[in-house]
Amino acid sequence: MSRTPVYIICSTRPQVGKTLMARLLTEFLKLQRGDVVAFDVSLKEPSLLDFLPRLTETADINDTFGKMALMDRLIVHDETAKVIDLGYHAFDEFFQMTAEIGFAKEAARRGVAPIVLFMGDSDRASLRAYEMLQQQYPQRALYVVDNEQVLRGEVPRALGQGKMLHVAALPPFLKTYIDRLNFSFTGYLRSEHDSSTELHQWIRRNYFAFREIELGLLLM
Amino acid sequence: MAKPAVIVVGADKGGVGKTTVSRTVLDYFSANNVATRAFDTEAPRGTLKRFHPDITEIVDMTTTSDQMKIFDTLNTVAPSVTVIDVRAGLLSPALASLRDIGFLDAAKSGQITFAVFHILGPSIASLDEIAETAGFMDGAKYFLVKNFINNTSFFEWDQATYNSYFHKIKGATEITIPKLNEMAYEQVEVSSVPFLKFVANKGPHDEAANYSFVLRGYVRHWLANVWSEFDRIKLTDIVHDKPSARTPGEQ
Repeated sequence: MSRTPVYIICSTRPQVGKTLMARLLTEFLKLQRGDVVAFDVSLKEPSLLDFLPRLTETADINDTFGKMALMDRLIVHDETAKVIDLGYHAFDEFFQMTAEIGFAKEAARRGVAPIVLFMGDSDRASLRAYEMLQQQYPQRALYVVDNEQVLRGEVPRALGQGKMLHVAALPPFLKTYIDRLNFSFTGYLRSEHDSSTELHQWIRRNYFAFREIELGLLLM
Repeated sequence: MAKPAVIVVGADKGGVGKTTVSRTVLDYFSANNVATRAFDTEAPRGTLKRFHPDITEIVDMTTTSDQMKIFDTLNTVAPSVTVIDVRAGLLSPALASLRDIGFLDAAKSGQITFAVFHILGPSIASLDEIAETAGFMDGAKYFLVKNFINNTSFFEWDQATYNSYFHKIKGATEITIPKLNEMAYEQVEVSSVPFLKFVANKGPHDEAANYSFVLRGYVRHWLANVWSEFDRIKLTDIVHDKPSARTPGEQ
């Protein structure tokens, strides 16, 4: 039986494309599985909740009650994929807590598969954070997102050892287009019949990469 | 029959976590397959009994009949390890009683293994108890338990004060009980189950429970840290009186 995936999209820095990645992934999972729940833990930044209000819930991990409300749902093997858009300000608190409560081990025991999508950057804090994630999660569950918009093709060597997910940069006018609150990636694929457009191909490439990760769940 | 071992957990000050520490000790022995009986001196209600009802008996240590119930049975009952949770204010009187009935002499001569877990609060009054209690510790294994469960400090910021209490008593060993998340602690309280059962998501009668995964995680992590302290002092070796068990404070 397939495991229930919990995608954690995270970074120690703002403005590296977390919410974009969370939007793309949430829409893909909705299309692929028919059901997905996203949690927005980045209320201080541009928010997933603004883009996908019907699929997104807010979560606050500043106190124990908030942590319980979030984590007690993530640990349930209900075959509904979960996506967490983890704001950079909550990074340390979240992973300190998951380490303390033994989230990775308990998840494995219960048929839940946490998959960390770490938005790579070349600063020292990012490299340290990646090292910490490597200690907490197995290599098969940890992806570095090589966002061309951020890394510009120069992935630090320390980040290039494990699994990578490459996200190509979009020209500014398309970036502005997809940043509109009512824009839907799946909606675009459905409505735009010309599959040769740059945006069409960009979305398809990303969806294909997500499908590969989903297929990998069967082997976990 | 194995040599009897008595562990007294107490403090003269109230609210410093005596019963919490007693519960961790009982859980530790349970996990290490050490048969144990416990006495709760908080008569008539008893908090320890609420968490470990099967092995705990409530006694009034100020009465001779209940003292007999504990100490006259040390050599006759099956669990050779006895844990006594002494209620607030009774530690010094209890130790005086033990001296008077010759129990401390028996411990000194090696007939009985005797250990005291002295739970300390973050006050000078609590620390003053150390000198008072230490007078009874000849022949006993004496542990000074710094309980951080209430987010306290023990004058570490004032080394002169700290040393005057913690480094004055020879042969005493310090144990640190780390802080447990408040909500997790309260949830275990409400559930009225041993920490071990809470971690295993079980109710009082071993039925499946539905405790928060997060809170169970916090308790598991905390309990592991507490037990690592018990491992450090070789608590199971002490109660089994193994030669490898060093007297605390021994180099």
